Amino acid sequence: MTDARLLPPIPVPDPESAGYWESLSTGVFALSRCTECHRWMQVPQEHCRWCGATTSFEEVSGRGTVFSFIVVRHQSIPSLTPPYVVGMIEFDEQPGLRLTGIIEADPDAVAIGQKVQAIIRPIGESGFSAPSFELVP
Amino acid sequence: MTVAVVGIGRTEYLKRSGRTTKAMAASACRDALADAGLTIADVDGMCTFQANDSSSPMDVAWALGRDELAWANSMYGGGNLVADQIATAAAVIEAGLCKAVLVYRSLNGRSGYRFGTIEGPMQVTGENQYDVASGYLVPPQWFAMSARRHQYRYGSTCEDLGQIAITQRAHAVPNEHAFYREPLTMDDYLSSRWINEPFHLYDCTSEVDGAVAILLVGEDMVRDCKTEPVWLVGSSNSQSGAGWSSWDDPTEMYSRTAGPKIWANTGLNPSDMDFACMYDCFTYTVMATMEGFGFCEKGQVGPFFAEGRATYGGDIVINPHGGLLSEGYIHGLNHHYESTLQLRGNAGVRQVADAKVALVTAGGGPYGGANIYSKERP
Repeated sequence: MTDARLLPPIPVPDPESAGYWESLSTGVFALSRCTECHRWMQVPQEHCRWCGATTSFEEVSGRGTVFSFIVVRHQSIPSLTPPYVVGMIEFDEQPGLRLTGIIEADPDAVAIGQKVQAIIRPIGESGFSAPSFELVP
Repeated sequence: MTVAVVGIGRTEYLKRSGRTTKAMAASACRDALADAGLTIADVDGMCTFQANDSSSPMDVAWALGRDELAWANSMYGGGNLVADQIATAAAVIEAGLCKAVLVYRSLNGRSGYRFGTIEGPMQVTGENQYDVASGYLVPPQWFAMSARRHQYRYGSTCEDLGQIAITQRAHAVPNEHAFYREPLTMDDYLSSRWINEPFHLYDCTSEVDGAVAILLVGEDMVRDCKTEPVWLVGSSNSQSGAGWSSWDDPTEMYSRTAGPKIWANTGLNPSDMDFACMYDCFTYTVMATMEGFGFCEKGQVGPFFAEGRATYGGDIVINPHGGLLSEGYIHGLNHHYESTLQLRGNAGVRQVADAKVALVTAGGGPYGGANIYSKERP
């Protein structure tokens, strides 16, 4: 039996995040977007944080830029074995629209400003999926 | 009403206290009361901040023999709340709700619950749930991510961060209460293991078990105390819900707002400060907030430390006790202990000459605040 302490962290979906996780589980990377002013927001909000209108989840391109990154050398999260790269990705859809994810690349190959593409990966055997990123030329 | 710190107390800072957070909090509070020459009967308010890792003001008051409190406030959060705790305690006194308030922080930060130690299957709620897959869930990662952006934008380096660690360690060497007192060289710093690049081991604070208590009273009670009062001159605070990914510019911290605000509130400016206790959960926090509070231009903090301007004989002594990095991580409340000691002129061999006014900051990233203390009544 797997030692429960070694399992990856998993999200606890709530009414504002459920659409995000449900989309990913069907292979679609979608973020929260205002139905009126059409601005994107991450984290998701029930109502737009700028204009107060309702929001919905809409698919994004998954294309973005490395805004910053770290090379994790010290294990503090079960299931992730260092070294690995965590990137903060800013998406092409909107300045400041960011999410973190594993960059599936050699640490020495990663730099701020590089272009990336999201790929959806399962979170262990939890049933959840989340975007990772690969470098694109 | 003007408010002053009249008592300070603390426990030893240890790897393994073997005590409850309640017992340590009570010790630190007793220490602060004895320092002031007051008793628990004089205290009608207590407050703390915690992350489900400490004891409540009611329980600590009970342990001290106080049956009831007029104000017992416990805020959930981290070092971003320290300045707010002091400012709020003062506001409670000024509003007439209390006469004397003990602010404490007690934690078994090393032997008990440790920030950044996560055992699965961890179920992540709220704003952090989007970071589960990358495991981007712990402060040494958040601050390293911001530091990298600063390096990219302003050309700051690991050596710059190292200068902060080394200077503060030199300050801790004569501090008998400090957790780490061995001198640190740049070679030691650079050869220490990576935690999360660009952070080395010595960029990270030293978690300890222990407690600190700070006793605040209104000016009407100051004369009843046996200590010289250290006056609270002003405070500022800026708390954002942006989190670590949506904060627009991680080369800046809350200090971009709280910095200008505290100078405007008090009519003082950075050059008026004789020393500063800059919140230093990580070296980078000192770098970004020294810029934000206006001590240095962007990208100039490394040279400022390297040239000796942040130590004795320089422009301003930063963290004369060694800071959280070397003295120990009592979540920033030990900065208030140190600033009181210095402003009383009781800091012994590490006394900052003629120390009259000091800035004490709290927090990092999108949230934090600051207080200014003075030897002179404002």
